[in-house]
Amino acid sequence: MASYSSKVKRDIARWVESGLIEPRTADALARDIEANERRSLSFGSILAMMAALLLGAAILIFVAANWEAIPRLVRVAALFAVIIGGYVGGAFAKMRGHPAVGEALWIVAAAAFGGSIALIGQMYHFSGDESVAMLTWCTGTALAALVLRSGPLTVVAVGIADAWLMTKLLGFGLFRSMDFPHLFLVLAAALFAVSYWTRSQAARHVIVQSVIFYVVTLALDHNLLGMAILLALVSAAVFAVGVFVPVAADNIIKLGGQLPLHGLIGFLTGTALVQFELADSNGFAPAAVAALAGITGAIILAGRQSRGLRWVAYLGFAFELCLIYAVTMETMLGTAGFFLLAAVVLGALAFAIIRIERRMNHPVARETVS
Amino acid sequence: MNLILAALALALVQVGFLGWMIAGRAAILRDGKEILLKVEPVDPRDLLRGDYVFLSYEISRIPVKLIGDIPAGKQTNDEGQITVRLQKGADGYWRAVSAWLAQPPPSTSADDVDVVGHIAAGWTLSGDTTLAPDYGIERFYLPEGEGLAIERDMRVRPFSIRAAVSIDGVAQVKALMDGDTMLFEEPLY
Repeated sequence: MASYSSKVKRDIARWVESGLIEPRTADALARDIEANERRSLSFGSILAMMAALLLGAAILIFVAANWEAIPRLVRVAALFAVIIGGYVGGAFAKMRGHPAVGEALWIVAAAAFGGSIALIGQMYHFSGDESVAMLTWCTGTALAALVLRSGPLTVVAVGIADAWLMTKLLGFGLFRSMDFPHLFLVLAAALFAVSYWTRSQAARHVIVQSVIFYVVTLALDHNLLGMAILLALVSAAVFAVGVFVPVAADNIIKLGGQLPLHGLIGFLTGTALVQFELADSNGFAPAAVAALAGITGAIILAGRQSRGLRWVAYLGFAFELCLIYAVTMETMLGTAGFFLLAAVVLGALAFAIIRIERRMNHPVARETVS
Repeated sequence: MNLILAALALALVQVGFLGWMIAGRAAILRDGKEILLKVEPVDPRDLLRGDYVFLSYEISRIPVKLIGDIPAGKQTNDEGQITVRLQKGADGYWRAVSAWLAQPPPSTSADDVDVVGHIAAGWTLSGDTTLAPDYGIERFYLPEGEGLAIERDMRVRPFSIRAAVSIDGVAQVKALMDGDTMLFEEPLY
């Protein structure tokens, strides 16, 4: 991987020298190589990322152990050295044509920044707000992603924002005011903006899913029904946009054409919440019908383009069957009848899936052959 | 080359920010007025930061009667800060003598110390109730494994905290005391 890109980059440098291309073109070409390279992550770069994450975790846990054998000023100095060495060393590695090593070192440096915040909190016995510490860490990491134009650091920043949301929701601050962390939306929007600059499609996927999760918790915390219906409707609209104006939508959102998939996941989550809430009322049947209709519609409208979407739809359908069974189960006879019905439906489903998969795979296969 | 310079600048900004945090706390330890607070223990352990004991003080409960500026007609408070004026008692511990939700009037005695706490919204502001502010000094981090022993001792003996308070009321833990013995004292850095 690295050898190909470094070879092309050497060629580009030569072309610039001999006046074949402008420096601006050269820059664009180099960036294109990097962006495409990231998409085809090699086994080695995945291992490098995992090593970086493990090293980062080791730093954080080492700080937590509060080991007295090393004076804390030495610990602070060591962490500062890791921050500087990680960022600068990563930049060196990147320029030498080892992008995976470079990104991995940057992640270690970002972890050391978080570890330093925790260590300072420990040194001076800060009480309360992990929240402020995590937000500071998230901001620092996002800044690093911006300055270094790093996709992986963007994903890490999103991960820290998600961790912050979780700590807020799980109520680490039991003695604080229990305001719902609406600030997460601001974080998500800011990181989404950052992800354009850092060209991190992965970060955008994670952000969209995180926002869906946030809405689910909001629905559980507040007005469940209204929020859940809103989630389903907005997701359906997003799905429609992704299906009917795919090119225009992807030019703005840049999710690699996966907008309908996110829309479907949001829709299924929303309708599931609605059905939970309406389980004991007359509203359940229409909600279940709407969910099933949505799943069918999704397969018809967007199934051909995305295998992932089809499988999410099947999963949603299987979930719907279980849910309908759980809600409608009343008598033994009814249950037996339901099982009979379910057997018929499952058989029909299997038949349908096989037919759909065959139909949707074949034209694609033929296209690639021709 | 530009990337390396950018990385270096980024590293210096982050390290500089962390250094600024340390310098601010060290300044409170160095220049702040010293107070002694009586401790009541609660509960240990925090995943990320190793062992600590959760500390609760006498001044963690402020009777509403001490508050000098309750807005007329207000049943409960909003989230915000509370300034608590402390004076040294005969036994050496510092206790709250009065408190304000807004700006406190200037102190008449040089021996007073004003400490700023934070209160969550929704406490009742009438009658014999108390408020529970926190001052950012409710934890003491200990080396791994020592939290439980100290927490146990706290339940049978009086512990106290020496703290430093800056001019603007920010409190910073200085030392953990077991009776008259000092268990841990914090260096400036």
